[in-house]
Amino acid sequence: MQPGKVDHQPAYVLHSQPWRETSLLVEVLTRDHGRLTLVARSARRPQSALRGLLLPFAPLTIAWFGKGELRTLHAADWQGGVPQLSGMALICGFYLNELAMRLSARDDANPALFAAHDAAVRALAREPAYGAVLRRYEWALLTALGFAPPLDADDAQRPIDPAARYHVVPDASPHRLESGPADAGVGGATLIAMAAGDYADPAVRHEARGFLRACLDHHLGGRPLATRELLQAISALPE
Amino acid sequence: MKNPPSLDSLIAALKVLPGVGPKSAQRMAFHLLQRDKAGAERLARALDKALSNLTHCERCNTFSETPVCNLCADASRRQDLLCVVEMPADLLMLEQAHCHDGLYFVLMGRISPLDGVGPRDVALEKLFHRALDGVVEEVIVATNFTAEGEATAHVVTELLKNRGLKLTRIARGMPVGGELEYVDPGTLAQAMFERRKL
Ligand SMILES: [Zn+2]
Repeated sequence: MQPGKVDHQPAYVLHSQPWRETSLLVEVLTRDHGRLTLVARSARRPQSALRGLLLPFAPLTIAWFGKGELRTLHAADWQGGVPQLSGMALICGFYLNELAMRLSARDDANPALFAAHDAAVRALAREPAYGAVLRRYEWALLTALGFAPPLDADDAQRPIDPAARYHVVPDASPHRLESGPADAGVGGATLIAMAAGDYADPAVRHEARGFLRACLDHHLGGRPLATRELLQAISALPE
Repeated sequence: MKNPPSLDSLIAALKVLPGVGPKSAQRMAFHLLQRDKAGAERLARALDKALSNLTHCERCNTFSETPVCNLCADASRRQDLLCVVEMPADLLMLEQAHCHDGLYFVLMGRISPLDGVGPRDVALEKLFHRALDGVVEEVIVATNFTAEGEATAHVVTELLKNRGLKLTRIARGMPVGGELEYVDPGTLAQAMFERRKL
């Protein structure tokens, strides 16, 4: 038994970069061991069996060994079932990966985050409703990392009223607004839908987007997301 | 014991090469100075010459010593077909394959958001003007089938769509002469997803 050997671990590649002459440094999100960096030795050689496997957005099971910062990828097995993402789905996929890399801690086992990531990748490959997929993922990610504000009751322990408006901040219970303009804060109906993961209503998606963005930005520490800038650049292309 | 300053600056200069850290830079410097002085002089002259003579072709953006490269100046090539690739090595590979008798555009990179490489870091604006010169009718997107190459293909498509151009993407699937038994599962799975009607 080699030190630190892990076998048959469900995983997604989040990012990889060249390392030394022929190897890759692969950042993976695993189900039971969280996010970690592995060296895939010789993975850039033309005949390497890993070449067609270590792709982002492809469900894998992997094995590795070693301790400390740099562990060595021992094997990767294709699990299949997800076509390669392309077009806007692919850009959205990069967004999931960037959020997971920026917000999750290394070596912090988080099966709920892995489940959310897996569900989101599969949904991007299947359905064109990217907005709903991204909102569901953002909320699941915040929840899995313990960053999500509680939405089951307001700050006075009253149930959320779908007809009321609430002032919400990233790390406290919603505060019910007793007066003010009809579009102040976030609607109770949106908070209830978010807690249930239901983004079918475009009004819910729209309101949730702003709220989720504020929550994410709060934890991203001011450094912009490259994928968000890419999406903005695409929408700003000359008509 | 400290290195003489000119040795230190050579070691520091060699570290600009990708994948070269302080250890390998030092090894390279010692090799050049100790074992292969003639090679070192050739390297210095070649680098100097490349830096002063090479520019980017006005039309295809690849490296060239003239404002328009030989390939772009070749009137016998189809002028209505423009093939977009990431790097000059990709252009050379397509030329070796004798499969494209049109012209090229070399982006000199690919979009990779997680490496901080965005649309502004590849030659999209130059491509935009080149593809819309009124002569080009079809743009073939031949970026790599990596996630980054696919993202680049998406941005190129968004840039050039609805402008009267035919936009195509090179196909992926089973390798020529490939046997199912020996192909990697990712390639095989994608070939199945992208199967074509007979
Ligand atoms: Zn040229």
